[in-house]
Amino acid sequence: MIRTRGLVKRYGAFAAVNGIDLNIPRGEIYGFLGPNGAGKTSTIMMLLGITRPTAGEIHLFGERYSPRRLDLRRRIGVVPEKHPRGVWHWMSAAEYLRFFADIFEVPRRNERIGMLLEKVDLAAFQKRRIGDFSRGMLQKLSIIRALLADPDILFLDEPISGLDPLGIKQVRDLILSENREGRTIFISSHQLSEMEKICDRVAIISRGKLIAEDAMESILSRISSDREIRVELETVPAALPARVKDLPFVRDAAAEGNVLTVKIQREGDFRKPVAEFLISQGLVALSLAEKALSLEEAFITITQENVVELAERGE
Amino acid sequence: MRISIRSGLVIGWRQLFESLLSPGFYVMLSVGLALGSLLVAGFTGSIDSSGFEPQASPLYDLISRSLSGAFGATFVEKLFAEGPFLFALVAAFLPVSVYLAIASVFRFAQEKNAGAVELLVYGPADGTSYILAAFLKDLILSAGSLALIAAAFAVEAALTNLLLGPLFLWALAALFLLSASFFAYGLLCSIVVVSSSSAIALFLGISLVFSLVFAGSFTIVSAPVRTLSSTAAALLSWISPFFYAGMIFRGVQAGSQGAVLAGLLLLAFLSALLVLAGRLIIDAKGVRA
Repeated sequence: MIRTRGLVKRYGAFAAVNGIDLNIPRGEIYGFLGPNGAGKTSTIMMLLGITRPTAGEIHLFGERYSPRRLDLRRRIGVVPEKHPRGVWHWMSAAEYLRFFADIFEVPRRNERIGMLLEKVDLAAFQKRRIGDFSRGMLQKLSIIRALLADPDILFLDEPISGLDPLGIKQVRDLILSENREGRTIFISSHQLSEMEKICDRVAIISRGKLIAEDAMESILSRISSDREIRVELETVPAALPARVKDLPFVRDAAAEGNVLTVKIQREGDFRKPVAEFLISQGLVALSLAEKALSLEEAFITITQENVVELAERGE
Repeated sequence: MRISIRSGLVIGWRQLFESLLSPGFYVMLSVGLALGSLLVAGFTGSIDSSGFEPQASPLYDLISRSLSGAFGATFVEKLFAEGPFLFALVAAFLPVSVYLAIASVFRFAQEKNAGAVELLVYGPADGTSYILAAFLKDLILSAGSLALIAAAFAVEAALTNLLLGPLFLWALAALFLLSASFFAYGLLCSIVVVSSSSAIALFLGISLVFSLVFAGSFTIVSAPVRTLSSTAAALLSWISPFFYAGMIFRGVQAGSQGAVLAGLLLLAFLSALLVLAGRLIIDAKGVRA
C-alpha cells in the first residue's frame, strides 16, 4: 500500500530525512514515532505529496507517487494535528463537509455526510457553525472530512491530542472500526500509550533515520533482555531473595520493603511457579504481576540507544 | 491538470460565494458608484455655452489641475473630450478593484498561514488550484463590478442626455485586463512573502512604483527628471500593466485598432505570465505555512 525506497529530504546541508525505507501493507495500523525534530513531519509531508523528496521513491497503491499525482491523492484521507482556526469558521458543519465533498467529487455527498456525522454523534450539530465547535468536535469533524471520499489510507497526525478521555475513546473506536473495514491507518503521535493500544506495527525514527520498525510485541520484547515479576508480600524474610535466585528460570531477585522483584528469563510464563514457590515457603502473596514494558519505555530506550550510538560514531 | 483545474473551480466558486457575502465588496462598489455619479453630475455643471469648462465647477477645476500636473494638459483634454464617463468609469472602478486586489492578497496569505491551503492540497488540489480559484474569483467580481458600473452610467447618460462615447467600451476591456494583471501581481506577492501584512505592503509598493513611473512618463518637468523617469519607465515598462494600458489609450486616440488590440493582448499575456510565475513559485515553495 505504502512503500518508500531511500527517501531523503534535505534542507540545505541538513538532512531531515536520510534514507528511509517503509513498507506498509494494506489494512495495517502503522504507528510512526520519533522525538521532536526526528524527521516525522518531513517524511509525512513527502508521503502526502506536499513536498518533494530530495532523493528516493514513494510508491502508493503500487504506483510511483509524486506531488503531481492528484488522482492518487483522492484515495488518501488526512487528519492534521490542528484544524485551521479562523478559516471557514462561519460555515456550518454540513456546509464545510459539502465543500470538501465537492473537491473530492464524492458521489451522493449528502447521504455520505449524513452517515458519517451519525457515526461520530455529530448529526445533531450539522447546522452549527464550526467556529463554535469544541476541540473534540473539530477533531471528529476533521476525521469525517478525511473519510468523505472513502479513502484507502488514512493519515492521522496526533489524532487524540487535546481530547478528553471520552473523546479519546470515541476517536480510538472510530480508528479501529475504520481499520476493520479494510482501511490502512498511518498514525503519527506522541501519545505512546494510545499507540500501544491500537497499532499493529510501529516505526521509530530518530535524526532522519528509521531506527526500529516491527510489530508492537517484537519492539517491546526486543529491548528487554529480562522480564520482571513483582510480588507484594505481607513480610519479606531476609533470605528470600537468595532462595528465589536458586530457581532455574530466575536471573536475579531483590527485595525492597515488602515488595520482591524477580527478574526472569525472556521466554515463558513464570508467574505460577513463583507463586507456588512462595506458598511452599509459607508466605502469602498480596499481589503478583509481571511488569509489562510500555511502548513509552521502549521508545525512550531505543531513541537513547540511537543517540549514544551516533555519539560514539562521532555523527 | 484536469483534476487541478476542477478543484480550482470548486474552491473558486466557494471563494466567490464568500466574497459576495462580505459587506466590504458592496461598500466599495457603492463608494465607486457614488463617486462616479458625483463626477458625472459635476461635469454637467461644468458645461456652458463654450462647452466643457473645468473652471466652472470647483470639483472639476481641482481634478483637471491635479491631472494636468501629473499627466499633462493634453492627456486631460483627451480624457474629457468625449464627456465625463471615461474618467468617471476609472474613478468608480478604482475603489472596487483596489479592494478586491488587497482582499485577495490578505486572504491568500492568511489562509496559507492558518494552514487552510495546506488542508485543501491534502486532497485532489494543488497550489495551481488555489491560484486559479483566487484569480478566477477576482476576474468574475471585477467583470461583474464593471458591468454594474457601466449599466449605472448608461442610465445616467440617458437621463442627462450625454453619450458614453466610443472610448467607453474600449476602456471597459482595458480596465478589466488592467485589474486582472494587478490581481495577478497581488497573488504573486502573497506567494513570495510570509505574512499578510508583508504581502499587502509589497503589493502596494509595486503598485505605487508602477503609478509613479506611469505618471512620470507623461510629465516633462525638467530634463534630469524626464531622463530619470524615462529610464525607469523603459526598464519597468515591460512588467508594468500601466504601460500596456497607456498603449491602448494612445492607440484609441490615434484610431489604431492594431495598437489597441496589441495592448489588450499584451495585458492579458502579462496576467497569464504572472499567474504562471505564481504557479511555478508555489510548486517550488510548497503551501506550508
